[in-house]
Amino acid sequence: MFQRTSYVDNIHVKSISYSSIFQIGDSHYIYQLSRAIAVQREAEIYYDNEGEFSNYRVFTQPIHFEPIDEPISIQQHQLHPIIKVNNMNITGLSSSSMLNIGSSKHLSLEARVKHIRQIFPKENEHNSNS
Amino acid sequence: MNFEVYNRDLCVHNIEITGVTSSSMVFVGDTNTIQLASIFDTPPESLIIGPFVPLQPEVTG
Repeated sequence: MFQRTSYVDNIHVKSISYSSIFQIGDSHYIYQLSRAIAVQREAEIYYDNEGEFSNYRVFTQPIHFEPIDEPISIQQHQLHPIIKVNNMNITGLSSSSMLNIGSSKHLSLEARVKHIRQIFPKENEHNSNS
Repeated sequence: MNFEVYNRDLCVHNIEITGVTSSSMVFVGDTNTIQLASIFDTPPESLIIGPFVPLQPEVTG
């Protein structure tokens, strides 16, 4: 497959985190996975060694993709084989996301997040219950 | 299925993005196949009101 050349003059990225990639150049196959248990507590309490992924179904349930075997005959005519971008400005990349300048064959990205909030009982509710 | 593409001039002046997250992508180039999946789970039972109980500890080894 004849691929185009990507040409970017100027890129500015502030932050890249949690299984994210900023890649310049071609690749054949990319697979990214990010798992997160996001716990928000009303008070600043931190326990050590907390959270087991296998306890939550969100991390074990399978994600079914359509099989990539559609018989499509693609004919590409690269009359001007350049993709040109003058300026890119990205504030953040997070949780198995990617910024790719270049070509690839297959990309597979997966992110699973379990969000838990722990808050204090409200003062007035507490009084009415008792 | 027959799919015929003529790639002529492709020039973008400026791209401004605040956030790319949870298995999304910005791609400047060509690719054959893309598979993106994201699960975000915050059910009502994940809102715990009451004393702070630690989550079950991580099983190591």
